[in-house]
Amino acid sequence: MKAVHYLNQFFAGLGGEDKAETPPVRLDGAVGPGRGLAAELEDVDIVATIACGDDYFAEHEDEALATLLAYLEEDPPDVLVAGPAFGSGRYGYACGTLVAAAAERGIASVAAMHPENPGVDAAGKAYVVPTAVNVAGMRDVLPRLARVASALAAGRELGTPDQGGYLPRGFRRNYFAEKTGAERAIDLLLAKLGGETRTEVGGGLDRVEPPAAVPDLSQALVALVTEAGCVPQGNPDRLPAVRAQGWFRYDLTGEETLSAARYESVHGGFDVTLANEDPNRLVPLDTARELEREGRIGRLHEAFYTTTGNGTPVVTSTRFGREIAGELREAGVGAVLLSGT
Amino acid sequence: MAWELATFPSDLLPSQFEVEGADVQVVRPGEPVRVTHVLDAVEPRIRPDGRAAFPTKGKAGEGRTNRLDGVIVLSCLDFAEEERPLHEQESIVDLAGPGAEFTPFGDETCVVLTFRPGEAGNEDAEAAARKTTLRVAEELARPTLDAEPAEVETFELGAGDENLPRVGALIQLSDLGPLYHLYVYGTPAGQAGLPRIVDPAELLDGAVTSGEYHWAAMRNPTIFFQRNTLVRSLYAEHGKRLRFAGVVLMRGYEQSADDKQRAAEAAAARAQELGADGVVITTDAGGNSHTDVMLTCRACERAGIRTTVILAEETDPESTRPILTDWVPEADSIVSTGNLEELVEEWKPERVLGGDTLLDGTAAASAGPIPVRNYLGAANQMGQLTLGARTE
Repeated sequence: MKAVHYLNQFFAGLGGEDKAETPPVRLDGAVGPGRGLAAELEDVDIVATIACGDDYFAEHEDEALATLLAYLEEDPPDVLVAGPAFGSGRYGYACGTLVAAAAERGIASVAAMHPENPGVDAAGKAYVVPTAVNVAGMRDVLPRLARVASALAAGRELGTPDQGGYLPRGFRRNYFAEKTGAERAIDLLLAKLGGETRTEVGGGLDRVEPPAAVPDLSQALVALVTEAGCVPQGNPDRLPAVRAQGWFRYDLTGEETLSAARYESVHGGFDVTLANEDPNRLVPLDTARELEREGRIGRLHEAFYTTTGNGTPVVTSTRFGREIAGELREAGVGAVLLSGT
Repeated sequence: MAWELATFPSDLLPSQFEVEGADVQVVRPGEPVRVTHVLDAVEPRIRPDGRAAFPTKGKAGEGRTNRLDGVIVLSCLDFAEEERPLHEQESIVDLAGPGAEFTPFGDETCVVLTFRPGEAGNEDAEAAARKTTLRVAEELARPTLDAEPAEVETFELGAGDENLPRVGALIQLSDLGPLYHLYVYGTPAGQAGLPRIVDPAELLDGAVTSGEYHWAAMRNPTIFFQRNTLVRSLYAEHGKRLRFAGVVLMRGYEQSADDKQRAAEAAAARAQELGADGVVITTDAGGNSHTDVMLTCRACERAGIRTTVILAEETDPESTRPILTDWVPEADSIVSTGNLEELVEEWKPERVLGGDTLLDGTAAASAGPIPVRNYLGAANQMGQLTLGARTE
């Protein structure tokens, strides 16, 4: 099996800080710490070393990444190994960014660096093996890095982060605890009352900052968007009642109102009886047309956008929002009336 | 007043019985059976003094109640599709195989009642099935009236060491409308004058019953109140690590922002009346009710009452950016009862009860991997079970 190894200019032997502007290069075989790594790999050869100056990567990320990925795609390896970068922020970031991009392209990838290196966050779904903060940890990390790299090349399961010797990547995975949730809650509460606050789930929210006010609504192109599951009668595109995987756009040309005879909600998260007596209450086309006639809004966008917001993971909703907003921006829409349920 | 719970062995379960309007099947522990369209799970209980085991008036949690150990009544109903006012979600119990680890039913004898929807509308069919199930649970425990209990537990709270912290439980009961109610003494949670303080023994003694058919994994079937781990653990810890301050029942799925804020503050006020230093806040169902829980957490913390929240996660298993549906900074102590979106390994049962076809049209006997969210109570947010989620 084949591995490709990524190093910065220093570890690849190209030079120190004075060579940090070096653009990507491809070298045959193992170089520098790659030799020690090669000695520990099981049935895996380092066929090439790819390297880049830390400053060059930081200042020309897109170009550097494109070149490095092109090296990988010429002859895809069974595993990409990056680093170890230890505590070096720029090197770690380059390692993390490269392994994340390679993993997205289906190449099994692992980097090694200190757990607090900013490159850990950049590594996405790729694996990161923890190291000491400086190069004194080289001897310790190479066998552990080699073990992960060999397993990835062979397609073996690594198990949990503890079992596999890599840092948690952020996936939330189920497990059976020794205590019930209720017992764990009592333990956490008593600890908190004792001054030691712990949690099993981190918080945080995607805060959406309100945009600046629309300068002149009477000139604005306004779109109607909803998560109320509002669709043409009969649900021609089969929008699901729960757990939608996408969204739909329906033309409103010539429509003055969302009549109950022609539209309905298929949302499965609320009682739609009242809504279906007058779908305008979900997507207020009747009122919007009135405002359009009165000149209080410039013009109504030619279509409305709809999905079902029910049991949808936040990451999925975020994608819907980005996709819909992209189309609306392209169409020159300046304001959206977003109705939620 | 103390409440006694007397336990009787499962061999008192009658060997022959019929239920009008339902097919009855008795499944012994370990049989490779999948049960579908499950509405509720109930432990057989009866009161020797003749009062109702699932009372709609009076007060539960007093005197003595008999329970049949190792027996669970599972009720199933496949609603008529064309008139679902709300969409009930798939609800599965596997009594063997990998899915059996996710629910606590496979180790016991299950009496599976499969109701026939008949001509009645969905709400009537559900009401009939629910009432019949509770009545059957009571009837199955009747032989205990002439038997000697194997064990009698007494639930009573003494004063406890004043140096121990006072800890309460704020238990959320959702009410989103027909087919999405929990009941307090037979009244939908939204009409039951919540939030209100109840004697913890009332909760264990049939005061709360389920009629809620939201995401199966986040449901709290009746048996999870009867055997409530949180309340039982707080009783067990009373006088040891804490003093059990009591239970507040509160509603989930308040319908407006104002109602949510008011309800959260009212729940915190009830917790203050209990004199609680800290409360465990539980959740029922998803989305909307998570906002209710977060606001309640904030209201309690602002009132000087420390909180730990129990909730389940709905995170895309392929995402490395887990985000809760709602969150407040005061929620700094959260127990996770698992990620609903993970799949449970495929399993082929030898027998299917409750209905052969799942709601998505696939055959229940040969369905592929099933997500955790479809297993009844698997990630329930009262902390009844051991499932959790952690970052990997």
